[in-house]
Amino acid sequence: MQHLIMKERNIDLAIRIEGINTVETIKKELNVNRARAIYLLYRLRKEGFVITKRNSVGKRIYYISPKNAIGGTSYVEILNQNSPIKMVTSEVHKIYGGKPSIEETLIHFINKKDIRYLISVLALFRKIKNWHELYHLAKENEILREVGALYDVARQVIPKIRKMPKRFQNNALPKGNVHYKYIVDKFQSSDFKAIEKKWKVFIPLNLADLEEYKR
Amino acid sequence: MITIKDQQEVLVKISKGISKEITAYTIGGTAMMFLGLKDSTLDIDIVFTSEEDRSAFKKAVKTLGFEDMDSAIVYGKRDNCPDMVKLPDSRIDLFLNEVISFIFSKNMQARAKEIHQFGNLILKVADVHDLIIMKCATNRIKDKDDILKIIKNSQINWDILADEAEHQLSLGKEQAVLSLGTLLEELNNNHNVEVPKQVLDKLWNLLEKQIRSKKKLRKG
Repeated sequence: MQHLIMKERNIDLAIRIEGINTVETIKKELNVNRARAIYLLYRLRKEGFVITKRNSVGKRIYYISPKNAIGGTSYVEILNQNSPIKMVTSEVHKIYGGKPSIEETLIHFINKKDIRYLISVLALFRKIKNWHELYHLAKENEILREVGALYDVARQVIPKIRKMPKRFQNNALPKGNVHYKYIVDKFQSSDFKAIEKKWKVFIPLNLADLEEYKR
Repeated sequence: MITIKDQQEVLVKISKGISKEITAYTIGGTAMMFLGLKDSTLDIDIVFTSEEDRSAFKKAVKTLGFEDMDSAIVYGKRDNCPDMVKLPDSRIDLFLNEVISFIFSKNMQARAKEIHQFGNLILKVADVHDLIIMKCATNRIKDKDDILKIIKNSQINWDILADEAEHQLSLGKEQAVLSLGTLLEELNNNHNVEVPKQVLDKLWNLLEKQIRSKKKLRKG
Protein backbone atom coordinates (compact mmCIF):
# COMPACT_ATOMS: atom_id res chain seq x y z
CA MET A 1 0.00 0.00 0.00
CA GLN A 2 2.74 2.44 1.03
CA HIS A 3 4.65 1.49 -2.08
CA LEU A 4 1.65 2.32 -4.28
CA ILE A 5 1.20 5.72 -2.67
CA MET A 6 4.85 6.57 -3.29
CA LYS A 7 4.27 5.85 -7.00
CA GLU A 8 1.04 7.86 -7.24
CA ARG A 9 1.29 11.06 -9.28
CA ASN A 10 1.50 14.19 -7.17
CA ILE A 11 -1.64 15.74 -8.65
CA ASP A 12 -3.69 12.59 -7.93
CA LEU A 13 -2.34 12.47 -4.41
CA ALA A 14 -3.18 16.15 -3.90
CA ILE A 15 -6.72 15.58 -5.18
CA ARG A 16 -7.06 12.55 -2.86
CA ILE A 17 -6.13 14.46 0.31
CA GLU A 18 -7.44 17.87 -0.80
CA GLY A 19 -8.44 20.10 2.11
CA ILE A 20 -7.13 21.03 5.54
CA ASN A 21 -4.65 18.50 6.92
CA THR A 22 -2.09 17.89 9.63
CA VAL A 23 0.67 15.26 9.51
CA GLU A 24 -1.60 13.04 11.63
CA THR A 25 -4.58 13.27 9.27
CA ILE A 26 -2.33 12.49 6.29
CA LYS A 27 -0.91 9.47 8.15
CA LYS A 28 -4.41 8.24 8.83
CA GLU A 29 -5.82 9.01 5.39
CA LEU A 30 -3.01 7.37 3.46
CA ASN A 31 -2.15 4.74 6.04
CA VAL A 32 1.55 5.65 6.05
CA ASN A 33 4.06 6.31 8.83
CA ARG A 34 5.09 9.81 9.94
CA ALA A 35 8.29 9.92 7.89
CA ARG A 36 6.45 9.03 4.68
CA ALA A 37 3.68 11.52 5.42
CA ILE A 38 6.30 14.26 5.79
CA TYR A 39 8.04 13.15 2.60
CA LEU A 40 4.74 13.21 0.66
CA LEU A 41 4.06 16.70 1.99
CA TYR A 42 7.51 17.73 0.78
CA ARG A 43 6.72 16.34 -2.67
CA LEU A 44 3.39 18.16 -2.86
CA ARG A 45 4.90 21.40 -1.56
CA LYS A 46 7.51 21.29 -4.32
CA GLU A 47 4.66 21.28 -6.86
CA GLY A 48 3.03 24.25 -5.15
CA PHE A 49 0.04 22.28 -3.89
CA VAL A 50 0.58 23.02 -0.18
CA ILE A 51 0.04 26.21 1.83
CA THR A 52 1.31 25.91 5.40
CA LYS A 53 -0.08 27.90 8.30
CA ARG A 54 0.15 27.50 12.06
CA ASN A 55 -2.79 27.25 14.42
CA SER A 56 -3.10 29.03 17.77
CA VAL A 57 -0.83 26.52 19.54
CA GLY A 58 1.83 26.62 16.81
CA LYS A 59 0.90 23.33 15.16
CA ARG A 60 1.39 23.19 11.39
CA ILE A 61 -1.80 23.09 9.33
CA TYR A 62 -1.52 22.20 5.64
CA TYR A 63 -4.00 23.48 3.07
CA ILE A 64 -3.62 21.01 0.24
CA SER A 65 -5.13 21.60 -3.19
CA PRO A 66 -3.89 21.38 -6.78
CA LYS A 67 -5.48 24.81 -7.20
CA ASN A 68 -2.82 26.29 -4.92
CA ALA A 69 -0.31 25.83 -7.76
CA ILE A 70 -2.32 28.02 -10.09
CA GLY A 71 -1.36 31.15 -8.15
CA GLY A 72 -2.80 34.51 -9.14
CA THR A 73 -4.50 37.00 -6.85
CA SER A 74 -8.22 37.46 -6.42
CA TYR A 75 -10.07 40.70 -5.73
CA VAL A 76 -11.46 39.12 -2.56
CA GLU A 77 -7.93 38.49 -1.28
CA ILE A 78 -7.08 42.18 -1.80
CA LEU A 79 -10.32 43.18 -0.08
CA ASN A 80 -9.67 40.90 2.89
CA GLN A 81 -6.12 42.19 3.26
CA ASN A 82 -7.37 45.75 3.51
CA SER A 83 -10.77 45.62 5.17
CA PRO A 84 -11.65 44.64 8.75
CA ILE A 85 -14.84 43.03 7.43
CA LYS A 86 -13.66 39.84 5.74
CA MET A 87 -15.56 38.21 2.92
CA VAL A 88 -15.87 34.56 2.00
CA THR A 89 -16.92 33.63 -1.49
CA SER A 90 -17.08 30.59 -3.72
CA GLU A 91 -16.69 32.81 -6.74
CA VAL A 92 -13.35 32.53 -8.55
CA HIS A 93 -11.91 35.60 -10.25
CA LYS A 94 -8.12 35.45 -10.32
CA ILE A 95 -5.74 37.97 -11.76
CA TYR A 96 -2.31 37.04 -13.10
CA GLY A 97 0.76 39.02 -14.07
CA GLY A 98 0.32 41.64 -11.36
CA LYS A 99 -1.82 42.47 -8.36
CA PRO A 100 -4.96 44.52 -8.83
CA SER A 101 -4.66 47.94 -7.21
CA ILE A 102 -6.86 49.09 -4.32
CA GLU A 103 -8.53 51.47 -6.76
CA GLU A 104 -9.36 48.64 -9.20
CA THR A 105 -10.60 46.48 -6.33
CA LEU A 106 -12.90 49.24 -5.09
CA ILE A 107 -14.43 49.75 -8.53
CA HIS A 108 -14.76 45.99 -9.06
CA PHE A 109 -16.84 45.55 -5.91
CA ILE A 110 -18.99 48.67 -6.38
CA ASN A 111 -19.84 47.26 -9.81
CA LYS A 112 -20.99 44.03 -8.18
CA LYS A 113 -23.93 45.91 -6.63
CA ASP A 114 -23.97 43.56 -3.64
CA ILE A 115 -24.67 45.06 -0.23
CA ARG A 116 -22.30 42.72 1.63
CA TYR A 117 -19.40 43.76 -0.56
CA LEU A 118 -20.39 47.44 -0.41
CA ILE A 119 -20.16 47.35 3.40
CA SER A 120 -16.75 45.68 3.35
CA VAL A 121 -15.38 47.82 0.54
CA LEU A 122 -15.90 51.12 2.39
CA ALA A 123 -12.67 50.45 4.30
CA LEU A 124 -10.70 50.60 1.04
CA PHE A 125 -11.22 54.38 0.91
CA ARG A 126 -8.68 54.55 3.70
CA LYS A 127 -6.05 53.02 1.42
CA ILE A 128 -6.69 55.07 -1.71
CA LYS A 129 -3.51 56.77 -2.83
CA ASN A 130 -4.07 57.24 -6.53
CA TRP A 131 -7.20 59.39 -6.80
CA HIS A 132 -6.40 60.04 -10.42
CA GLU A 133 -6.63 56.31 -11.22
CA LEU A 134 -9.80 55.98 -9.16
CA TYR A 135 -11.37 58.90 -11.04
CA HIS A 136 -10.58 57.42 -14.43
CA LEU A 137 -11.76 53.93 -13.50
CA ALA A 138 -14.98 55.32 -12.03
CA LYS A 139 -15.58 57.44 -15.12
CA GLU A 140 -14.92 54.51 -17.41
CA ASN A 141 -17.44 52.42 -15.47
CA GLU A 142 -19.89 55.32 -15.20
CA ILE A 143 -20.01 55.15 -11.41
CA LEU A 144 -18.42 58.49 -10.48
CA ARG A 145 -21.38 59.60 -8.35
CA GLU A 146 -21.59 56.21 -6.65
CA VAL A 147 -17.91 56.40 -5.68
CA GLY A 148 -18.37 59.94 -4.37
CA ALA A 149 -21.44 59.00 -2.32
CA LEU A 150 -19.85 55.87 -0.82
CA TYR A 151 -16.74 57.89 0.03
CA ASP A 152 -18.88 60.33 2.03
CA VAL A 153 -20.54 57.41 3.84
CA ALA A 154 -17.13 55.93 4.61
CA ARG A 155 -15.92 59.28 6.01
CA GLN A 156 -18.83 59.25 8.47
CA VAL A 157 -18.13 55.81 9.90
CA ILE A 158 -14.45 55.03 9.39
CA PRO A 159 -11.75 57.17 10.99
CA LYS A 160 -8.60 58.43 9.25
CA ILE A 161 -9.87 58.51 5.70
CA ARG A 162 -7.90 61.01 3.65
CA LYS A 163 -9.69 63.96 2.10
CA MET A 164 -10.88 63.50 -1.42
CA PRO A 165 -9.08 65.91 -3.75
CA LYS A 166 -11.21 68.96 -4.60
CA ARG A 167 -10.78 68.27 -8.30
CA PHE A 168 -12.21 64.75 -7.96
CA GLN A 169 -15.20 66.03 -6.06
CA ASN A 170 -15.88 68.93 -8.43
CA ASN A 171 -15.71 66.70 -11.47
CA ALA A 172 -17.75 63.92 -9.93
CA LEU A 173 -20.60 65.95 -8.40
CA PRO A 174 -23.80 65.90 -10.44
CA LYS A 175 -24.39 68.99 -12.52
CA GLY A 176 -27.73 70.34 -13.63
CA ASN A 177 -30.90 68.36 -13.58
CA VAL A 178 -29.83 64.76 -13.12
CA HIS A 179 -31.94 61.85 -11.99
CA TYR A 180 -31.27 59.87 -8.86
CA LYS A 181 -29.40 56.58 -9.42
CA TYR A 182 -29.62 53.36 -7.47
CA ILE A 183 -26.43 51.53 -6.49
CA VAL A 184 -28.49 48.46 -5.65
CA ASP A 185 -31.92 48.45 -7.26
CA LYS A 186 -34.80 49.63 -5.03
CA PHE A 187 -32.56 50.13 -1.97
CA GLN A 188 -32.25 53.52 -0.35
CA SER A 189 -31.05 54.85 2.97
CA SER A 190 -32.89 56.47 5.78
CA ASP A 191 -29.70 57.60 7.56
CA PHE A 192 -27.68 59.14 4.72
CA LYS A 193 -30.31 61.38 3.13
CA ALA A 194 -27.95 64.39 2.88
CA ILE A 195 -25.34 62.37 1.02
CA GLU A 196 -28.01 60.94 -1.27
CA LYS A 197 -29.16 64.48 -2.06
CA LYS A 198 -25.62 65.74 -2.64
CA TRP A 199 -24.66 62.98 -5.10
CA LYS A 200 -28.13 62.16 -6.43
CA VAL A 201 -27.47 58.53 -5.60
CA PHE A 202 -29.56 56.26 -3.40
CA ILE A 203 -27.32 54.60 -0.84
CA PRO A 204 -28.30 51.01 -0.01
CA LEU A 205 -26.90 51.24 3.53
CA ASN A 206 -28.00 52.48 6.93
CA LEU A 207 -25.87 53.22 9.99
CA ALA A 208 -26.93 49.93 11.56
CA ASP A 209 -25.36 48.04 8.63
CA LEU A 210 -22.02 49.64 9.46
CA GLU A 211 -21.97 48.83 13.19
CA GLU A 212 -18.99 46.52 12.75
CA TYR A 213 -16.77 49.46 11.84
CA LYS A 214 -17.43 51.00 15.25
CA ARG A 215 -16.18 47.97 17.21
CA MET B 1 3.64 19.08 -22.42
CA ILE B 2 2.47 22.40 -21.01
CA THR B 3 2.54 22.63 -17.22
CA ILE B 4 0.47 24.96 -15.05
CA LYS B 5 3.42 27.34 -14.78
CA ASP B 6 4.12 27.29 -18.55
CA GLN B 7 0.48 27.92 -19.32
CA GLN B 8 0.37 30.90 -16.99
CA GLU B 9 3.58 32.39 -18.35
CA VAL B 10 2.43 32.06 -21.96
CA LEU B 11 -0.96 33.60 -21.24
CA VAL B 12 0.57 36.53 -19.33
CA LYS B 13 2.92 37.19 -22.27
CA ILE B 14 0.10 36.97 -24.80
CA SER B 15 -2.11 39.30 -22.77
CA LYS B 16 0.54 42.02 -23.00
CA GLY B 17 0.00 42.16 -26.75
CA ILE B 18 -3.79 42.52 -26.47
CA SER B 19 -4.94 46.12 -26.47
CA LYS B 20 -8.67 45.75 -25.81
CA GLU B 21 -10.54 43.49 -23.42
CA ILE B 22 -11.24 40.01 -24.82
CA THR B 23 -13.40 37.38 -23.16
CA ALA B 24 -12.92 33.78 -24.21
CA TYR B 25 -13.57 30.33 -22.78
CA THR B 26 -11.11 27.60 -21.89
CA ILE B 27 -12.03 24.00 -22.50
CA GLY B 28 -10.29 20.61 -22.43
CA GLY B 29 -7.03 20.15 -20.55
CA THR B 30 -6.58 23.89 -20.06
CA ALA B 31 -9.88 24.13 -18.21
CA MET B 32 -9.02 21.02 -16.19
CA MET B 33 -5.74 22.62 -15.14
CA PHE B 34 -7.56 25.74 -13.94
CA LEU B 35 -9.97 23.49 -12.03
CA GLY B 36 -7.07 21.68 -10.34
CA LEU B 37 -7.80 18.35 -12.02
CA LYS B 38 -4.68 18.11 -14.17
CA ASP B 39 -1.10 19.26 -13.96
CA SER B 40 -0.19 19.33 -17.64
CA THR B 41 -1.77 19.34 -21.06
CA LEU B 42 -0.73 18.90 -24.68
CA ASP B 43 -2.29 22.12 -25.86
CA ILE B 44 -4.14 25.22 -24.73
CA ASP B 45 -7.75 25.14 -25.98
CA ILE B 46 -9.62 28.42 -26.19
CA VAL B 47 -13.09 29.13 -27.59
CA PHE B 48 -13.83 32.64 -28.86
CA THR B 49 -17.28 34.03 -29.50
CA SER B 50 -16.22 36.54 -32.14
CA GLU B 51 -13.79 36.42 -35.04
CA GLU B 52 -12.57 39.88 -34.06
CA ASP B 53 -11.46 38.61 -30.64
CA ARG B 54 -9.82 35.55 -32.15
CA SER B 55 -7.90 37.69 -34.62
CA ALA B 56 -6.73 40.05 -31.88
CA PHE B 57 -5.54 37.07 -29.84
CA LYS B 58 -3.82 35.51 -32.84
CA LYS B 59 -2.05 38.77 -33.63
CA ALA B 60 -0.72 38.94 -30.07
CA VAL B 61 0.36 35.30 -30.16
CA LYS B 62 2.27 35.73 -33.38
CA THR B 63 4.38 38.53 -31.91
CA LEU B 64 5.70 35.88 -29.48
CA GLY B 65 6.94 33.74 -32.36
CA PHE B 66 4.03 31.31 -32.64
CA GLU B 67 3.48 30.03 -36.16
CA ASP B 68 0.34 28.86 -37.92
CA MET B 69 -0.22 25.13 -38.01
CA ASP B 70 -2.44 23.00 -40.22
CA SER B 71 -5.31 21.77 -38.04
CA ALA B 72 -5.83 18.72 -40.29
CA ILE B 73 -2.62 17.26 -38.81
CA VAL B 74 -4.34 16.93 -35.44
CA TYR B 75 -8.06 16.93 -36.19
CA GLY B 76 -8.13 15.38 -39.67
CA LYS B 77 -10.85 16.54 -42.04
CA ARG B 78 -13.46 17.23 -39.40
CA ASP B 79 -15.87 20.14 -39.23
CA ASN B 80 -15.21 23.19 -37.09
CA CYS B 81 -11.50 22.62 -36.66
CA PRO B 82 -9.74 25.38 -34.77
CA ASP B 83 -7.11 27.78 -36.01
CA MET B 84 -3.89 26.47 -34.57
CA VAL B 85 -0.64 28.16 -33.63
CA LYS B 86 2.46 26.51 -32.25
CA LEU B 87 5.89 26.93 -30.77
CA PRO B 88 8.29 23.97 -30.63
CA ASP B 89 7.07 23.07 -27.14
CA SER B 90 3.49 24.34 -27.01
CA ARG B 91 0.37 24.55 -29.12
CA ILE B 92 -2.73 26.71 -28.90
CA ASP B 93 -6.06 25.70 -30.50
CA LEU B 94 -8.32 28.65 -31.20
CA PHE B 95 -11.95 27.63 -31.73
CA LEU B 96 -14.69 29.97 -32.85
CA ASN B 97 -18.12 29.25 -31.30
CA GLU B 98 -18.01 25.59 -32.31
CA VAL B 99 -15.83 22.80 -30.96
CA ILE B 100 -15.72 19.97 -33.51
CA SER B 101 -19.11 18.27 -32.97
CA PHE B 102 -20.57 20.80 -30.53
CA ILE B 103 -21.62 24.42 -30.39
CA PHE B 104 -20.29 26.32 -27.41
CA SER B 105 -23.84 27.36 -26.62
CA LYS B 106 -25.13 30.36 -24.68
CA ASN B 107 -26.02 27.94 -21.85
CA MET B 108 -22.43 26.71 -21.76
CA GLN B 109 -21.20 30.30 -21.72
CA ALA B 110 -23.52 31.11 -18.83
CA ARG B 111 -22.33 28.08 -16.86
CA ALA B 112 -18.67 29.12 -17.18
CA LYS B 113 -18.35 30.99 -13.88
CA GLU B 114 -14.66 30.80 -12.96
CA ILE B 115 -12.71 33.77 -14.28
CA HIS B 116 -8.95 33.93 -14.79
CA GLN B 117 -7.84 37.35 -15.91
CA PHE B 118 -4.55 37.96 -17.69
CA GLY B 119 -4.51 41.73 -18.28
CA ASN B 120 -6.95 42.35 -21.09
CA LEU B 121 -7.46 38.65 -21.67
CA ILE B 122 -10.35 37.32 -19.60
CA LEU B 123 -10.61 33.55 -19.66
CA LYS B 124 -13.70 31.85 -18.32
CA VAL B 125 -13.40 28.18 -17.48
CA ALA B 126 -16.01 25.90 -19.02
CA ASP B 127 -18.18 24.12 -16.48
CA VAL B 128 -17.33 20.48 -15.67
CA HIS B 129 -20.58 19.29 -17.28
CA ASP B 130 -19.65 20.96 -20.54
CA LEU B 131 -16.13 19.53 -20.38
CA ILE B 132 -17.69 16.06 -20.22
CA ILE B 133 -20.01 16.80 -23.13
CA MET B 134 -17.20 18.12 -25.32
CA LYS B 135 -14.97 15.18 -24.47
CA CYS B 136 -17.61 12.54 -25.10
CA ALA B 137 -17.38 12.64 -28.87
CA THR B 138 -13.62 12.24 -29.25
CA ASN B 139 -13.18 8.49 -28.62
CA ARG B 140 -9.66 8.99 -27.23
CA ILE B 141 -8.66 6.91 -24.24
CA LYS B 142 -7.12 9.88 -22.47
CA ASP B 143 -10.41 11.77 -22.78
CA LYS B 144 -12.25 8.90 -21.14
CA ASP B 145 -9.73 9.03 -18.28
CA ASP B 146 -10.30 12.78 -18.01
CA ILE B 147 -14.07 12.26 -17.90
CA LEU B 148 -13.70 9.70 -15.11
CA LYS B 149 -11.45 12.08 -13.20
CA ILE B 150 -13.99 14.91 -13.55
CA ILE B 151 -16.84 12.67 -12.39
CA LYS B 152 -14.84 11.38 -9.45
CA ASN B 153 -13.88 14.85 -8.23
CA SER B 154 -16.94 16.97 -8.99
CA GLN B 155 -20.61 16.97 -8.19
CA ILE B 156 -22.32 15.99 -11.39
CA ASN B 157 -25.88 16.98 -12.10
CA TRP B 158 -26.78 14.39 -14.75
CA ASP B 159 -29.83 16.39 -15.83
CA ILE B 160 -27.57 19.24 -16.98
CA LEU B 161 -25.77 16.79 -19.29
CA ALA B 162 -29.00 15.44 -20.77
CA ASP B 163 -30.49 18.92 -21.14
CA GLU B 164 -27.40 20.23 -22.89
CA ALA B 165 -27.36 17.26 -25.29
CA GLU B 166 -30.99 18.03 -26.11
CA HIS B 167 -30.09 21.69 -26.58
CA GLN B 168 -27.21 20.76 -28.89
CA LEU B 169 -29.65 18.67 -30.91
CA SER B 170 -31.95 21.67 -31.24
CA LEU B 171 -28.95 23.65 -32.49
CA GLY B 172 -28.45 21.08 -35.24
CA LYS B 173 -25.69 19.00 -33.66
CA GLU B 174 -27.05 15.57 -34.38
CA GLN B 175 -24.25 13.55 -32.79
CA ALA B 176 -24.71 15.06 -29.33
CA VAL B 177 -27.38 12.75 -27.94
CA LEU B 178 -25.86 9.58 -29.35
CA SER B 179 -22.33 10.44 -28.17
CA LEU B 180 -23.45 11.32 -24.66
CA GLY B 181 -25.82 8.37 -24.39
CA THR B 182 -23.09 5.96 -25.47
CA LEU B 183 -20.62 7.46 -23.02
CA LEU B 184 -23.02 7.37 -20.07
CA GLU B 185 -24.02 3.78 -20.85
CA GLU B 186 -20.37 2.78 -20.92
CA LEU B 187 -19.62 4.59 -17.66
CA ASN B 188 -22.61 2.93 -16.09
CA ASN B 189 -21.76 -0.56 -17.31
CA ASN B 190 -17.97 -0.66 -17.19
CA HIS B 191 -16.76 1.95 -14.76
CA ASN B 192 -19.10 1.74 -11.77
CA VAL B 193 -20.45 5.22 -12.33
CA GLU B 194 -24.06 5.44 -11.22
CA VAL B 195 -25.93 7.32 -13.89
CA PRO B 196 -29.62 7.78 -13.01
CA LYS B 197 -31.84 5.57 -15.15
CA GLN B 198 -34.22 8.40 -16.04
CA VAL B 199 -31.30 10.33 -17.57
CA LEU B 200 -30.32 7.37 -19.76
CA ASP B 201 -33.96 6.85 -20.67
CA LYS B 202 -34.34 10.49 -21.60
CA LEU B 203 -31.30 10.31 -23.89
CA TRP B 204 -32.48 7.12 -25.63
CA ASN B 205 -35.98 8.57 -26.05
CA LEU B 206 -34.45 11.64 -27.64
CA LEU B 207 -32.42 9.44 -29.95
CA GLU B 208 -35.49 7.43 -30.96
CA LYS B 209 -37.34 10.65 -31.69
CA GLN B 210 -34.37 11.86 -33.71
CA ILE B 211 -34.32 8.63 -35.76
CA ARG B 212 -38.06 8.75 -36.34
CA SER B 213 -37.98 12.34 -37.58
CA LYS B 214 -35.06 11.49 -39.88
CA LYS B 215 -37.01 8.57 -41.35
CA LYS B 216 -40.03 10.82 -41.87
CA LEU B 217 -37.85 13.35 -43.65
CA ARG B 218 -36.43 10.67 -45.94
CA LYS B 219 -39.87 9.32 -46.79
CA GLY B 220 -41.24 12.82 -47.33
